[in-house]
Amino acid sequence: MDKLAKQLRNDAHRIECSVSEELDDRIRASLEGIQPESVQRPRRESKSFSFWWASSLTGVAAAIAVIAFINLQAPGPGSVATESNPQPLVIPTVQWRTETAVFTSPLEQELEDLQADLKKAEEAVKQDIDRLF
Amino acid sequence: MNDVTNEAALIDAARNGSAAAFTDLVGAYREGLLRFLLTRSSSFADAEDALQDTLINAYRYLHSYDARWRFSTWLYRIAINNAARQKTIDTVELGDLSDGGDDPLRQCIEASERENLWLSARRSLTDEVYAAMWLRYVEDMSINDISAALERSVSWTKVNLMRGRKTLNAEFNKVATDEKSKAYG
Repeated sequence: MDKLAKQLRNDAHRIECSVSEELDDRIRASLEGIQPESVQRPRRESKSFSFWWASSLTGVAAAIAVIAFINLQAPGPGSVATESNPQPLVIPTVQWRTETAVFTSPLEQELEDLQADLKKAEEAVKQDIDRLF
Repeated sequence: MNDVTNEAALIDAARNGSAAAFTDLVGAYREGLLRFLLTRSSSFADAEDALQDTLINAYRYLHSYDARWRFSTWLYRIAINNAARQKTIDTVELGDLSDGGDDPLRQCIEASERENLWLSARRSLTDEVYAAMWLRYVEDMSINDISAALERSVSWTKVNLMRGRKTLNAEFNKVATDEKSKAYG
């Protein structure tokens, strides 16, 4: 042991202190009043095993119920033949007429023209939609 | 070997709720713990409270003690955590205490011409390095035990013990030089 280590040890022992009787009693009283937490917690193995079985059975039952429900709801094989053929869907074609903007007028005028064109196009589309449906 | 067996038996009994076995178990460590806590607390009463809290926590959570470590290592780990928590609550800097008249450590150190090295240590080392030095040189703990008690790596412990030694060596040599020069006028 070197000098410093020896000195540190000696100096530590020069710190005079002891546990008083009062403190001792206090600690004892505190210890008597508490219980250590148990290291053995209640085993959950049996519970988890039954839980696993219960959840598995529930899952299987639910799956069977869903499959049965879908099968009952599905149309029979004859229903396809009796069903009337729907008319072919006509998809309206919208004539999009576009004009190249000529940037010769002042910008405000061009904006007004564009807005008017847009309104016209909107009206044309509305008319087409009304005519079709 | 008998001590170890006896300690293991006491731990088992205490785990099963025997407060008397626990009291016997910690009997050998109480004064050392109090002395250590005294160096970390702002008053003697605080050190006593910290000791009480340490022992109560140790008893309550005895199931978490891992027998791979020494029992004292585990106890000191709880004590260090308690002291740190108490310091945070008190928000008292120990550095300020070392100069004050109410310093419990100073009160418990017998008057001497030479300053106690632990007073110098507390002034010049951080709490963790101080604790590491104490565990090493007072409690004779191994580096592994110290690193476990402080929840630090082994390399951190080694490096900081070396730094602590260097700092205290300088203080120690300075005091020795002063004493020599006083002696020779």
